Amino acid sequence: MIKRNSLSVRLIGAASVVSVVLLIAAGLLLSNLFTSAVERSLDARLQAVMDGLLASVELDGAKPKMEKALADTRFEIPLNGWYWQVSALDGDPGKQAASASLLDERLPITQFNTPDRAAGAGEAGYMSDKSGNMLRVIEQRYTLFGSEEQYSFLVAGNFDELQAEVSTFNNALVAVLSLLGIGVVAAILLQVRFGLRPLSALQSELSNIREGKQERIAGDYPVEIQTVTDELNLLLDANTEIIERARTQVGNLAHALKTPLSVLTNEAGIHGGALGMKVTEQANVMRDQVSLYLDRARRAARAKTIGSVSDPNEVVSAIVRTLERIHKESNIKVDVRLDPGVRFRGEHQDLEEIVGNLVDNAFKWSEGKIAVTVRPSRTPVDNRISWFDICVEDNGPGLPDGGAEIAKERGKRLDETKPGSGLGLNIVIETAAMYGGQLNLGRSRLGGLEATLILPAVSPSS
Amino acid sequence: MRLLVVEDDPDLNRQLVDALGDAGYAVDSASDGEEGHFLGDTEPYDAVILDLGLPVMDGVSVLEAWRREGRTMPVLILTARDRWSDKVAGFDAGADDYVAKPFHMEEVLARVRALLRRATGNASSELSCGDLIVDTSSARVTVDGKAIKLTSLEFRLLSYMMHHKGKVISRTELVEHLYDQDFDRDSNTIEVFVGRVRKKLGIDVLKTVRGLGYCLSEPDDQA
Repeated sequence: MIKRNSLSVRLIGAASVVSVVLLIAAGLLLSNLFTSAVERSLDARLQAVMDGLLASVELDGAKPKMEKALADTRFEIPLNGWYWQVSALDGDPGKQAASASLLDERLPITQFNTPDRAAGAGEAGYMSDKSGNMLRVIEQRYTLFGSEEQYSFLVAGNFDELQAEVSTFNNALVAVLSLLGIGVVAAILLQVRFGLRPLSALQSELSNIREGKQERIAGDYPVEIQTVTDELNLLLDANTEIIERARTQVGNLAHALKTPLSVLTNEAGIHGGALGMKVTEQANVMRDQVSLYLDRARRAARAKTIGSVSDPNEVVSAIVRTLERIHKESNIKVDVRLDPGVRFRGEHQDLEEIVGNLVDNAFKWSEGKIAVTVRPSRTPVDNRISWFDICVEDNGPGLPDGGAEIAKERGKRLDETKPGSGLGLNIVIETAAMYGGQLNLGRSRLGGLEATLILPAVSPSS
Repeated sequence: MRLLVVEDDPDLNRQLVDALGDAGYAVDSASDGEEGHFLGDTEPYDAVILDLGLPVMDGVSVLEAWRREGRTMPVLILTARDRWSDKVAGFDAGADDYVAKPFHMEEVLARVRALLRRATGNASSELSCGDLIVDTSSARVTVDGKAIKLTSLEFRLLSYMMHHKGKVISRTELVEHLYDQDFDRDSNTIEVFVGRVRKKLGIDVLKTVRGLGYCLSEPDDQA
């Protein structure tokens, strides 16, 4: 559904990657800050113990001795990771004292033996005890009162307890940051969708135009898109204008050629004679050629106009009204049945030519009755789009057997006595074919010809 | 019968005026829409031949203006743009018939005859009054089967009276419908013409209605 090369994917992808990277960086930073804060606070606590230790240790001979026990009971519980130890640097067991928690164990102090240590300067580090506890250790060295020898004062805290605290924090941090990440991505999705909504609106406007439901892009758009829609509207207008101009030119050409042809024909008719007859004959050929090519040019000019829709009901009514006036004296009764819901997916003028020729034909042959029906198609050309019928019937003689094919040919006339150039049905077929439509000829229930035109409709759902 | 031709092409205009004149009508002509509209609005024409593609004011506008102003004379439109939309527009504007260019003059003459007949309520091109028969399509006049030779102005007078059989026609109306606008009108000559027509027909169908004008009706002995 989502294509890789889309604005949404670009926007969402870029924003998500940046957000995730930033969140991970923030998480790492916070975790480090927390760990070092916890470490500092442990160090401070150990330092307090160290201070108490310094204050209460005295020498009993060479052996250090606690004057009074430390208040913190953690130093009483065996091997729990909380220890203190005072020992002479030479490692002599007789010159050592330690917390009860250490039992008989002693922590090594060699790792703190750095050269040139000033008296009282502290060191810190990590080590593990016998039971595998990770220890945070601070160590200081002093010369005790009544001795020349330096003693190592060491206080250790259980670093694993602290690690547990840190990992609890880290877990919470990951959970919170993940939630935040999901929230941010959701916000980005919403934002992109909201931000791109005018584009999808534009897309549906354009497809409406292509389907002929409207002629221009309507509505207010954000400034960034408005310039594009304005340009598109200008383009659509220009398109319509070009077609309109071409059509006007064709009309002008018709006018320009046909009037002199009339003059020529009539002048030749007045003068008569061999020359006159020749001129009349040739003028007639010219007239037919002019009609033929004007007709083609007209259709070429209007082929592929996007988005035109016309009302067949209106066209049928106008044509019938006009033909009834032309044939006022013949007393032909026309039964018109319309379907107001039907719309032709095509040019108004094309429909006028088609319907005009068909109904005109019916008027020529009818003996008093004509029926014109507009309805959703009973025999659609295919199922991809919807179709409608315009069915024109008369009670004239109809077509002889096999006449249908001849009637459809250009310039063929089944009855030379009726007026007409024989181009009518052919124009109907060619124009209908331009829209993918069809013309079927058959026998009407009225007794004469039934011409059924099948043309594409604008789908009723819209 | 007096007609107006509105056509901007000078050759076609002349041909129409000549052909209609030869067919026995009094014909005025205009070469643009404005002039045509003015004439049609001020002169009592029996029919108008109107081109749709006119300079200054197009044919459909001229026709619409006439109908809006209450002018009801039959109008035959000529159009080179024989698209259905033009026909629909023409008829919706109030046209009575149309001829597509290029046309043969006979077609225009036939349509004009039909329009005049329809406008005066006559069904056939043969008008009769007792033994008198006037065939408007061939311009033949017979009394009791015998052909009568009339000049074109005499024929025009008789055919106007035949189209308006039984109605009293004033001298002024006759003058207006028999002569084109360039003619030096003198209503006294009408009396002379009426006299000549009566004499040529030899039957008493053209009667003088004292103080009002003339009336064509069946001879008294048959009425």
